[in-house]
Amino acid sequence: MRTAKVAQPWAVIAAVVVAVAACSNSSSPAAASAAASAPAVSTQPSAPAEKVTVNFPYLWSGPEGDALEKVIASFNSSQTAITVKGVSSPDFQKQLASMSGSNGFDISDNFGSTVGSWASKGILEPLDDYAKADGTDMSDFVPTALQSNQYQGKTYALPIAVHTLLLMYNKKMFADAGISGPPTTMTDLQADIAKLTKADASGNITQFGMRSPDYITLAYAFGGKWYDDQGNATPDDPGNLAALHFWVDNVVKKYGADAIKKFESGYGEYASAQNPFYTGKVAMTLDGEWQPVFIKQYAPSLDWGVVAIPYPDGQQSLAGATQLTSSMFFIPKNAPHKQEAWTFLKYLTGTDAMKQFSRALGNLPARTSLLGDPVYNDLPQFNVWLDSLKSPNLRIFASLPSTAQYQKDLSDEFQLVANLTDTPEAGMAKVKANASGYSQ
Amino acid sequence: MHRSVLRGLLFASPWIVGFVIFQLVPIAASAYFSLTNFNLFQDPQFVGLRNYQRLAADALFWKSLLNTLYLTVIGVPVSLTAALAAALALNMRVRGQSLFRLFVFLPTVVPVVAATYIWRWLLNAQYGYVNGALGAVGLGQPLWLDDPFWTKPALILMSLWVTGSAMVVFLAALQDVPETYYEAAVIDGAGPWAKFRHVTLPLISPVILFETIIAGIFTLQYFTQAFLLGQTRLNAASGGPENSLLVYGLYLFQQAFVNLNMGYASAMAWVLLFVALAGTWLLLRVSRDRVFYAGD
Repeated sequence: MRTAKVAQPWAVIAAVVVAVAACSNSSSPAAASAAASAPAVSTQPSAPAEKVTVNFPYLWSGPEGDALEKVIASFNSSQTAITVKGVSSPDFQKQLASMSGSNGFDISDNFGSTVGSWASKGILEPLDDYAKADGTDMSDFVPTALQSNQYQGKTYALPIAVHTLLLMYNKKMFADAGISGPPTTMTDLQADIAKLTKADASGNITQFGMRSPDYITLAYAFGGKWYDDQGNATPDDPGNLAALHFWVDNVVKKYGADAIKKFESGYGEYASAQNPFYTGKVAMTLDGEWQPVFIKQYAPSLDWGVVAIPYPDGQQSLAGATQLTSSMFFIPKNAPHKQEAWTFLKYLTGTDAMKQFSRALGNLPARTSLLGDPVYNDLPQFNVWLDSLKSPNLRIFASLPSTAQYQKDLSDEFQLVANLTDTPEAGMAKVKANASGYSQ
Repeated sequence: MHRSVLRGLLFASPWIVGFVIFQLVPIAASAYFSLTNFNLFQDPQFVGLRNYQRLAADALFWKSLLNTLYLTVIGVPVSLTAALAAALALNMRVRGQSLFRLFVFLPTVVPVVAATYIWRWLLNAQYGYVNGALGAVGLGQPLWLDDPFWTKPALILMSLWVTGSAMVVFLAALQDVPETYYEAAVIDGAGPWAKFRHVTLPLISPVILFETIIAGIFTLQYFTQAFLLGQTRLNAASGGPENSLLVYGLYLFQQAFVNLNMGYASAMAWVLLFVALAGTWLLLRVSRDRVFYAGD
């Protein structure tokens, strides 16, 4: 009797443990698919096969997200076995965090510059075998965009669009300031910023000649480079320092770091009618090819123009320099439905969907065959961005294992430089010292 | 084993199973991972104490530790003083006492995310009400959320708004102080300050110590408000202006889920545990002769 009584509790514990194990098992995909392929299920009279749901969180939001939903809807209506469920999730950190969980999404988007660091960590599913299996032709993709989605000879993502930043300016503000046309050299730009910046008696900026630029792009305009040909970080390249000095010496020191920060704290949301370029708070901005569509949506009466980024005086060979970035789709390694995600990815980056999507967002398409397509003709001044792709000075930030960390270090240091805490030389030297430890 | 021990274990087993699965195993795993390079996707590589050595040489690690210690060493005393002051005021017998208590407690029930967004707007350098009010009385208008010097005072200012829970505990402690002590003190000629200093403070000192330790440990894990105030477009990893909002928890999160350095992040978690232990030990040690336990 005694042994029986003692045994009872253990039986209960064992039962609990088994129950817990059973619960956690049935929720894992492996167990679920094992159950689905069990004979007992397969002998059932043929019920209509359940559609596979492909989860697709994307970083776009607002009208851009709506445009993507239309592409998703037309894909879904063409499918009998796959349903794509899109959800707007404009959050880089959330995207990464959910890829590190066990129950991730199937497909998402990011920029080509992330591919190197993610692929080297094993986060991304290589796509070459899928492409080979169904004979997908990759030769139509814009070569630089495709390259930035490759790492060590393998393709980890496919581009949907490419982007360049150019100098946009407010024509009315230029006319009010008595400036006849947009700047072509950096000296022009400097003079125009001075003419277009206004401050009140106590030093508060009331109108800013130019929104603080993307320093990485500005550096390309000064002939700078961020990596050498061996893939070593070169933050202290003379061109990079010249770009930082241009901004710090001509703008920050002139108007004051605090005054600029205070003015910038009053900027409205970027993707809204309160964007400071739309409201006339800033007269110039380095911005991308999606702006014609944005302006139609948020500031239809804005009188604006766009030109290539000015070049340093006497260095006309640098004219047309800018940064090319690419938007891409990828399948994470832990995606539950990789094959179905590939089917959708292939559709998205195919000619028809890419045309529909890039026209709706006003993005530059990532296929060479679409670059001259008349579908973009009604987008005002879009041709200036299309032309920018032909520039011999088009630069791309290499997609290496260290890229994500390098860009984070740079953006941290740009703040210190723009706040006059560090000189450009000291700041970039710090980044260079950090970069020597990127190794991996 | 004795039968009663087994029965006891049986009754405790729901907790034991949960503790082992959800706490003991993860804690042990993080101790192991802290000795590895691990990015969640590839197998961990054992590197010994290298993560801890790298921490010592990591400028952002020290920056984040100092940011958190700033909030702990300055923020906790400030907010507890405010809570105690509020409790003292609300302990006075005046008409509408419970209404005043409600008003002080009310902000505490606002969800922290919503509260932080409200404050982000209130503290806007150009359009915020805080600077509007400061300007109206001729005071300086700091760039609360844009100047690295002011971001942490801004966080502390925000914490003053939600002192309700500490206030309630203090209030309960104040009401436990026997009225007779005050009567005796008055007979001895004590004024309001002397009553507070020699009667109230010693009698509620265990509660103050308890609140300090809890708030200290809580603040060492500070995360949400700094994360939200540092947010940029598309929520890329950010530490606020010049990383002045990069508190320890935020840096740990970025290492773990942005840079995918799980090993490094685990090492950071263990360092924080020892910081918390050391801080608690120090507090208990320093307070030993200053805290008065009525039951002793």
